[in-house]
Amino acid sequence: MQEKENVLRILQETKKAIEEDDGGKINKLSNQTINTASLTQDPDNIAVAVVAYSIGKIIERENYKPLKGWDEFHKTISLSIKNSIEDIKKNDEEKFRKDIELIRNSIENLSGKLKFYIQEVFRKASINKASKLYEHGISMEQTAKLLGVTLFELASYVGQSSASEIPENKTLSVKPRIKLAMSMFELK
Amino acid sequence: MKAIIFDSSTLISFAMNGLFEEIKKLKEIFNGKFLITKEVKYEIIDRPINTKRFELEAMRIKKLLEEKILEFPSVFELNEEEISKETLNIMNSANKIFWGRSREIRLIDLGESSCLALSRMLDKKGIKNAIATDERTIRLFLEKPENLTKLLEKKMKIRVTLNQKDYKFFKEFKIIRSTELIYVLYKKGLIELKDKNALDAFLYAMKFKGCAISDEEIEEIKRMEK
Repeated sequence: MQEKENVLRILQETKKAIEEDDGGKINKLSNQTINTASLTQDPDNIAVAVVAYSIGKIIERENYKPLKGWDEFHKTISLSIKNSIEDIKKNDEEKFRKDIELIRNSIENLSGKLKFYIQEVFRKASINKASKLYEHGISMEQTAKLLGVTLFELASYVGQSSASEIPENKTLSVKPRIKLAMSMFELK
Repeated sequence: MKAIIFDSSTLISFAMNGLFEEIKKLKEIFNGKFLITKEVKYEIIDRPINTKRFELEAMRIKKLLEEKILEFPSVFELNEEEISKETLNIMNSANKIFWGRSREIRLIDLGESSCLALSRMLDKKGIKNAIATDERTIRLFLEKPENLTKLLEKKMKIRVTLNQKDYKFFKEFKIIRSTELIYVLYKKGLIELKDKNALDAFLYAMKFKGCAISDEEIEEIKRMEK
């Protein structure tokens, strides 16, 4: 695992957010992890960014709390985050990965609306973090691979963003590229 | 004979807008082949066909392959194994061009690299070709690496260096996007919609499904028509 201290900090903040029932802070923190991950492309950093962001979003949604299975799910995520912090402190990376995985696997034990909602939060979190990596200059395909999302969903998400408007994206000007396309089709 | 090599991103822009007939029309007026590599096929057919969300788009692209609108490089007697081998070489080399904090920055993956490998192999055979990619990073990488350096530095907040010596290989690839292909259709009068804003609608539709083109560039394309 790379940037261990950063991962530890994110998890500690996530634990605090769960205890205080305040998911707002985690979003910003998870973006900082993506900043690091764009360079290291470390799967542990990426997994933590997705999990932390998702937990932040889940905690924010009051309407999930009365749903069947919420208490059990809340207990599982609290315990897994607590354990994953201990794992990092003990340098037990294998156990850390299992604890992080446990959070995602616990969704499978849910049923009904809560299962659907939480699955969606995790799916959207992966796409959101993928788009952040893409903004950092990593290609769409490489990003999709790192986050386990399809290119189709990433392309649509990125297309709605302002990623194409930044000045660095300018390369060849419009006319010569049009000319190239026309020449391929033998048009003037 | 000529070839247009389609990267996943360009086919996704067409597919997500349902513009399969437009790909067929382009093929009809093209004196050459529309190619995809097996690495690109994996990204746009094999993988999404197993997801409920994009199964339909994948099936419709698969149909283009069955109808030979899209073809594999074997039509030019190019060996798949050789392309895959060259793909890995190019990918490994490309991912050692940009460096930050004493480590290489991995920017591109197999599909994108396979398009570059195929383009170089077609060059060697004397077959005129262009890569159709809507993807921003690969375009910046090939056309303006200094801008990619700036972008990486700005976003990652680190100093990034470009390995100029090894970069030489990546010069002179030819890139077009789905938006330029739409312009070709428009110029040929092959866009069915006769609305005065049809070109605008098509170009923005491509942009919103992932084509890396700025509003300013779209407006410039439209001005070329006035």
